[in-house]
Order: sequence, then C-alpha cells, then structure tokens
Amino acid sequence: MRLSLLTLGLIGAATLAACGKSEPPAPTAAAPAAAPAAPTWPELRVAIDPTYKPFTYKTESGEPAGFDVDIAKALCEQINSKCAFVEQAWDGMIPGLLAKKYDVIISSMSITDERKQSVDFTGKYYNTPSCVVVKTALNLGAEAANFKGKKLGVLKASTQEKYAMGELQPAGATVVPYDAQDQVYLDIKSGRLDGTVADVVEVRGGFLSTPDGAAYSCAGGRIPVEFDAKYFGTGAGVALRKEDTALRDALDAGIKAIRDNGKWKELADKHVPGIDIWGS
Amino acid sequence: MTPYLLSILEGLWVTIGVALGALCVAAVLGLAGAAAKLSPYRWLNWIGDVYSTVIRGVPDLVWMLLLYFGGQILVNDIAEAFGFRRGPQINPFVAGVLTIGFVYGAYMTETFRGAIMSVPKGQSEAGWAFGMSRFYTFRRMVLPQMVRFALPSFTNNWLVLLKATALVSVIGLADITNLAKQAGAAARGEIPGAAIIFMAFAGLLYLLISSLSLYLLRKAEARYSVGVKRGTF
Repeated sequence: MRLSLLTLGLIGAATLAACGKSEPPAPTAAAPAAAPAAPTWPELRVAIDPTYKPFTYKTESGEPAGFDVDIAKALCEQINSKCAFVEQAWDGMIPGLLAKKYDVIISSMSITDERKQSVDFTGKYYNTPSCVVVKTALNLGAEAANFKGKKLGVLKASTQEKYAMGELQPAGATVVPYDAQDQVYLDIKSGRLDGTVADVVEVRGGFLSTPDGAAYSCAGGRIPVEFDAKYFGTGAGVALRKEDTALRDALDAGIKAIRDNGKWKELADKHVPGIDIWGS
Repeated sequence: MTPYLLSILEGLWVTIGVALGALCVAAVLGLAGAAAKLSPYRWLNWIGDVYSTVIRGVPDLVWMLLLYFGGQILVNDIAEAFGFRRGPQINPFVAGVLTIGFVYGAYMTETFRGAIMSVPKGQSEAGWAFGMSRFYTFRRMVLPQMVRFALPSFTNNWLVLLKATALVSVIGLADITNLAKQAGAAARGEIPGAAIIFMAFAGLLYLLISSLSLYLLRKAEARYSVGVKRGTF
C-alpha cells in the first residue's frame, strides 16, 4: 500500500478552512435508509490513480482494471449506483476530493491518522501483509532474530522501514533506507544487500516474479500478525469527504455485504491469487 | 509492447494541444503585459509589474494546483451559495491551457517588452508624425520590426513551455508523461525495465516536437531578419 505523505491534502484542507467555508446544508442525499428502491446516489464518481498494479492500472486498451476497480464496481452495485471512474495523479488525490472533482477515492489509499484530519475513511477493504525477503536457500522463519547479520534494504518513510528499524535492527540486522523500492531490488541484484522488507504483493510483482528474484522468497510467508497493529496500520479504505456520512455508512455496509456473499473473495483470488489480503 | 507505445503516442495530441493553446494565451497576455509596462499611464505600469513579478515568483506546479483545485472550491462555494448542489466542473484541459498560458504570459511580457524597446523610438515617432493612430503604428511599424528581436527569447520560452505541459498530468490529463507513467506501471513484470523504456520513449517524443519547432522558428528568424546584415563577433 502506498504511504506517500499527502502534504497537498493538508494544503487543500487548509485552503478549505481558510476560505471560511460555511457548513454546507446536510445533503438531501442523507435521506431514507429504508427506501432501497430509488437510487440515492445515481452516479458515484470514483477517483483512481492507475499506476499500481495489480490494484489499479490500465489495460493495454486503456480500460481501468485491477482489484480496486473491481471492488469499486461491486460497491457501486451494492449501493444501487453506477461507477464513473476519474483519473487523478496521486499528488492531487485528496485536494481533488475536497474540491468535489469526485465523490470517493478507491485507489489503495492507506487509512492513516494524518489523512483522517482532512478526509474520512470507510473500514478497510484490504490489508496486505509485509514480509522479509531473503534467499530461499537460507530457509529462514519470519522471526526477527533470524536476520542477525543480514543487510536489508527498505523504502524510506514506509511502514516496512518502521518495522525494520523497530524490530530487525535491535535483533542485529543492518537496515539501509532507499528512495525507491526499485533501487532496493537493483542493489540485491548487485550483491550489496541480502534482502528487503516489503509489501508482499509489491515484492511479488516487482521482484520475486522476475528472473532476478527467482532465488528469493518471503521468509516464513509474512511478518507475524502480532506486529500489524503496531507498525502496519489498518489497511486500505475508501476515502470520502467528512460531510458524506450517509455515503460512508452505505459503503461500509456494502463492504460487509460483499465479504459475506463471496464476491470479495472471488475478486481477491482473481487479482492477487495465493495471498490473504484481508489481514487480521 | 507495441500497444503501450501506441497508447503513449495518443498523448502526443493532448501535449501538443495544451502547448499550442497555452502559447496563444501566453502570446496575447505577453503583448498586453508589455504594452501595460511600456504605457505612459502609471496604473497600467503597476498592473504589468504585479503580473510579471507575482507569476514568475511562484512555481508553475503551485499555480496549477491553486487554479485547478482552489478555483474549483471557489466555484463550488459560489454555486452552493446560490443553492446548487455542486458547481460546474472546471475542465482539466481548459485549466491546463489557461494556467500554463497565464504563467508563460509573464515571461513573454518581458520578451516582448525587450523587443519593443529594441525598435528605435524614431520609428514610431515617424508613424505618429504621418498621422497614424497608435495602434496602426504599432501594427505596421513596430510589430514587424520587433519580431526579429523577440524570436530568440520567444523560442526559449516556447521550449520551456512545451516541457511544462508535463505538469498537466497532475490534474489528470492524459498527456505523454501521464500515459508513459501509466504504461510503465501496467507493463511491470511483463516487460523488463518497462518504466524506463516508456519514459525514454516519452522523452523522445518531446525531443521530436522541440526539434521540429526549433527548425521552424529558425526559418522564421531568417525570414524576419531579411535586410539585416548579421554581424559576427
């Protein structure tokens, strides 16, 4: 999941506040929950940044695709609406939401306290685990003590870096921060690093499935679940404007519904086979 | 690989469209700005000064975000004050053309101001002496002579403007840069080094447009320098 700091979101929020925006009247959309027949939201404008395979990307023919996109479609169906996808670069995601360019962001946005200051989130719709990647031949488990003396590259300012500094470094590993995850892969290839700590889906797409990563794998499958709350946060949710509480409740109900009826699992298996992306 | 390259190629039209649109806006604003700065009226000088100072002092990206997002919030607030659910959406293409045109208009102001000042004052005085109006004098006497002085700096501004159009990918327009980024992300794992290949292809397209325009502008320069003997150092 992406954790790039959305300074711009805060600027946007500040702009909003500075404008002395009067509280808008409660949207009439907040209407009767007990009338499922008439669509309350005839169209839901969904923002995506299609540069995050396999979650959000564009196919060769230019169609939006991926887990996020399919989840969005399923949720729109649940709330009796139609999705209209709007492309937006990551840097302007939250400002665009606040400027009402679209109604929700369904683009693998991690739920963080920082973002919660300017926008609201539904509960998570996925939460990918992270893992420590080293040579498969070492046959190591996931426990921190196993990586004593190993040199591991991590992405700067990521949740994985927090975990590596907090748990692996005290256990005797050397942790080296990098500006981009791709640089970490290059340095593993060149032999400067023994491995990395990364999101399971990211490392599979960017390294393990490539020829360079053939001899590597996730030690012990994933980082033990008990560290999730402390380091890795709550996962990715649908972001929306704070005043849209009725929509948030409807989408939360929608997430629960597709979890219950098997649609969620079907989509997860389709896009990210073999990994549990719901988390603990 | 080919479908991805073709998809990036589609961005060529958006990039060229934004660049040419912005150039038109910039040229008009630049001429107006230069006229304001050279006008005998104090208040017009002041407007021209504020325009070129404020615009050139703030990064392009900040203007883009300010006008596109800030402008949209303003439009929404006004629409809501009048009881509409939400304001009309600012079109990203229009926003991109106007922002880049607005910013480069300030640079063009200085280009045109310098060029107008390079035309000897006696030329326009001669026009007025013949009873031509100010505008007519400008159009028939000053303009054809200033082009020669303006072109080198104009060419420079155009090249910078062309590359500044890459900023429109921030507001979601499918220009060359944006599509290259998307293709790089989509082909990851399928094509080794996809991100670098597609970015290099995008770079090549920009180089192609700039080389072509350099060629044309150099021809224009030669055309407007007819009758002037070029000195050599």
